[in-house]
Amino acid sequence: MSTPAAEHAPGLAPADGIAARARGLTKAYGSGETTVLALDSVDVDVVRGRFTAVMGPSGSGKSTLMHCLAGLDTVSAGQVWLGDTEITGLRERELTRLRRDRIGFMFQSFNLIPTLNALENITLPMDIAGRKPDGAWLDRVIDTLGLRDRLAHRPSQLSGGQQQRVACARALASRPELIFADEPTGNLDSRAGLEVLGFLREAVDQLGQTVVMVTHDPGAAAHSDLVLFLGDGRIVDEMRRPTAEAVLERMKRFDVIRSRYEDAPASSEEN
Amino acid sequence: MLKATLRSFLAHKGRLLLSALAVLLSVAFVTGSLIFSDTVSRTFDRLFASTAADVTISPKEDLDEAVPSGRTATLPASLTERVRRQVDGVAAARADVKVNGLTVVDEKNQPVGPTTGAPTLGNAWSPNERSPVELSSGHAPRGPAQALIDSETADRKDVRIGDALTVIAPPGSFEVRVVGIVTFRTTNPGSAQLYFDTATAQTKLLGRPGTATGISVDAAQGVGDDQLKRRVAGALGAHTYDFRTADEQAESDVEQLGGFLDVIKYVMLGFAGIAVLVGVFLIVNTFSMLIAQRTRELGLLRALGADRRQVRASVLTEALLLGLVGSTLGLAAGIGLAAGLIELMGLLGMNIDTDEMEIGWVTPVAAYVVGLGVTFVAAYLPARRAAGVSPMAALSDAEVAGVGRPLRARAVAGAIVGAAGAAALAGCAVSRQTSSAASLLGLGVVLTLIATVIAGPLLVRPVIRVLGAAFPALFGSIGRMSQRNALRNPRRTGATAAALMVGIALVGGMSVASESMTASFDRQIDKTLGADFVVQNSNFQPFPQEVTDKVRGTDGVGLVVRGRFTPVAVRLPDGDRVETTAAGYGPRLDEVANVTYAQGDSAAALASGHLAMDRDFARDHGVRVGSALPVEFPGGRSAELTVGALTDQDAAEGFGTQGGLFFGLGTLERYAPGGQDSALYVNAAGGTGDRDLRANLEEMLDPYPQVQVRDLADYKRLVHDQIAVLLYLVYALLGLAIIIAVLGVVNTLALSVVERTREIGLLRAIGLARRQLRRMIRLESVVIAVFGAVLGLALGLLWGVCTQQVLALQGMTALAIPWLTIVLVVVGSVVVGIVAALLPALRASRMNVLAAIAHE
Repeated sequence: MSTPAAEHAPGLAPADGIAARARGLTKAYGSGETTVLALDSVDVDVVRGRFTAVMGPSGSGKSTLMHCLAGLDTVSAGQVWLGDTEITGLRERELTRLRRDRIGFMFQSFNLIPTLNALENITLPMDIAGRKPDGAWLDRVIDTLGLRDRLAHRPSQLSGGQQQRVACARALASRPELIFADEPTGNLDSRAGLEVLGFLREAVDQLGQTVVMVTHDPGAAAHSDLVLFLGDGRIVDEMRRPTAEAVLERMKRFDVIRSRYEDAPASSEEN
Repeated sequence: MLKATLRSFLAHKGRLLLSALAVLLSVAFVTGSLIFSDTVSRTFDRLFASTAADVTISPKEDLDEAVPSGRTATLPASLTERVRRQVDGVAAARADVKVNGLTVVDEKNQPVGPTTGAPTLGNAWSPNERSPVELSSGHAPRGPAQALIDSETADRKDVRIGDALTVIAPPGSFEVRVVGIVTFRTTNPGSAQLYFDTATAQTKLLGRPGTATGISVDAAQGVGDDQLKRRVAGALGAHTYDFRTADEQAESDVEQLGGFLDVIKYVMLGFAGIAVLVGVFLIVNTFSMLIAQRTRELGLLRALGADRRQVRASVLTEALLLGLVGSTLGLAAGIGLAAGLIELMGLLGMNIDTDEMEIGWVTPVAAYVVGLGVTFVAAYLPARRAAGVSPMAALSDAEVAGVGRPLRARAVAGAIVGAAGAAALAGCAVSRQTSSAASLLGLGVVLTLIATVIAGPLLVRPVIRVLGAAFPALFGSIGRMSQRNALRNPRRTGATAAALMVGIALVGGMSVASESMTASFDRQIDKTLGADFVVQNSNFQPFPQEVTDKVRGTDGVGLVVRGRFTPVAVRLPDGDRVETTAAGYGPRLDEVANVTYAQGDSAAALASGHLAMDRDFARDHGVRVGSALPVEFPGGRSAELTVGALTDQDAAEGFGTQGGLFFGLGTLERYAPGGQDSALYVNAAGGTGDRDLRANLEEMLDPYPQVQVRDLADYKRLVHDQIAVLLYLVYALLGLAIIIAVLGVVNTLALSVVERTREIGLLRAIGLARRQLRRMIRLESVVIAVFGAVLGLALGLLWGVCTQQVLALQGMTALAIPWLTIVLVVVGSVVVGIVAALLPALRASRMNVLAAIAHE
């Protein structure tokens, strides 16, 4: 699984494999005349130990892509692997276990169970699995996110930024193979948003985690190692070492690109 | 606005379904009981009106029999002649013989009469156009060995013409052959009927030729019933006998049957009451939750210009629509329920045609008043709350609705009502007067119930913290979440649990009371009963002399002490006239019973012309040993008896035996002749073992299936069974209360699940399995149910202990707590919780994860 953080120099050096992969991933809604293709035969590789952002205009299929990669949604055609496990075709029960044990989630809002305090929320996936959290790792995550003095608080007693930090800690706590973050800064003011992005960056750099983030904010995408651009259900472009300006420029050109888009296979940085 | 209301009603129809069911159940029980009692009483009105003679002469009934004495009041049959000759306008007069309480057995000594406790009657056969029966096969009885039997009994027991039967009548047993079958022309109230020729009925049933139990007089053309009654009374003397016109006779007959019908009616109304009470909780909760969930929608309405009154009216209109639907369906269900009850009566031998079902105008009115009233009252508070929603609510981003305002007002109201209730209960516990104690008890019960309902939400936190403390340890975070979910909205949890609490409190109280009664009776039986065996009827009905003779003649019997009852009226020194029942015992009472005397002894009590009574009763009425009291006996006899002894027994005053009066059997027979023994206390002769004596007695009494031989343990069991009947009724009430309470829990959980859609989606996304999700909801449900049960049991125990304090004034001094029942109730409430969670849990686990977490 994830290599110890110590071996990671900041930057991109020892990427050592594929955390998730999709081939010919297609998701269609409706049938017959009214069929809408949310994902149109997408091929994608998520590299382990990297921070990948998925961008695209509304309706481009970026959330659907994340749901399919995370085993939250079924696919219409194609295959999806998490590590070596093909998750397309898994039964509901196996998918649930997979999400619980191997994937971490952050959502835009409503990330926490209101009846549980911060610590209980953080360890929830492991509690559900009936596993003991790794104490040393948990301490490290909590300290990295600066949550030590907030552990006994209920979500309603935390600010929006603090809530997202707790959600981030939960996603990290079980050392998942992959963390999916769906617009994690969407509901935050810019300072709290920056903080959360910083933590995700740190999770990759210091803790050796793999993060896939769906966002429509170029500034957020700029924190990633690689930006995948989605349009009309296909991966239309990618950008390494992005900056906010470059991403914004790229997004502005979207209509132009869309018109001259050719069926180029989507690629990750190692292709 | 009306359109918005209707739309809203239709949009929420799924969520209102369970509330409608609660209304339906309440209304069904109310209308069912009304239809049933109307139908039955109309049927019997008709029956008695059609069978009553124009004028009936019967022996004077001066004293009511609370405890059967076995005596049949008679008058001379020759009155028939006198009436016919001396009174103008008499078309015909007949001497009737009708004897209650016969036992009829077939050749195998199996009883032929009803097994339901309904009587077997023996009559003189004098067919006329008002006879309730007509001969359908065979011929009229002639001579002392022929009888007719009714077709329903004949069918039930497979009796045919030519069969031999033994009739065990007060004067003695005799054999008859069935020579004909009679069929009821009207409804049979459930009894078995035998007919003999008049002479046989007089000699063999009454024991005296030339007597009758009543005279039926038919008026000649043009003579009114009232007019004839006046003439007959004038001819015979107004105070000699009771005279009744056909209407009066029918009324009196209905009254005699009325007690039984009233019981059924009150039981049904009890069910209706429980259904209404519990239903109110359910409806309040449903509307509260719907309004909480629609806060933004209501805020929008307000923002768009709807005023408070309109919002309130909208919610109330919705409630009334619900009530209308529920009442209509409930009315239909009530008709079905009444039909079912009538069928059930048929199984018990009371055949009423369901075609004759009587639906008076009161029934539908009651249905809608109850149905609409319940929903209106229940929806009123939520409607007020809805009207209080501010237009700002439409704009705010309140995530979970109705987390709750402070419960301070509830705390204050609950404390005040609770204190008043506690004071009333304390008052009842210390009161010495049965009547005031009972009314204080009633007040205390109502007040403490209200207080608990008000304060329920306040108790949710502490009690569920304790109850659910083990959950996190046992079930991990699933247990923790379920416990906290139950704590989340104390108001809602409290109201949901309250529905269950009401039923369980009722049962808790009743079972403590009945367990205490049982224990008291046991103690008293242990203390007082000294006989080896008691021979008696399981319904405490008297039995013929023949049985006593047989017991006396049994091998190994050493001593037989007879016990009898008679109604009496005593005039006391303080001026009161008390009608009660007195017992008469044979000599050597001390050898079969341990009577505790405050003054005097058995010899003084049983001496000729003397009597004994309870010390407390005597003190209250200024009686002392040596007081001479005028005592009235049935049949117009009276005597002055001297108080010979005062007793100091735990429960001297049983059912209908106020004052605990008793005297010697000789005294009783002198002033109240013609009765039958009610109990025989038997001791073995020296050298005979109990087992042998019992075998001998049972063999000897084989031809008399109406009596049984009981030792101390059997006798206790008989008493327990009598009390158990009460308990079964309570359990049935509990069953209904629980069904509705389960609906309430289902409702609350289902609506909570809807409210927590996103939370459930999140849990599923981060890996909570469906099974675990279902378990979480199940545990929440169990916590709520157990909370209700614990509250109910606590309240019920309190009520039970106070009830026992009141019973103690009646001599039932033992307090017994039915621990087994309590444990079963708690276990049962866990089951209730699990059952109630089935559907909501299924629904939650089927929820689409993506839809649940979608943020747009």
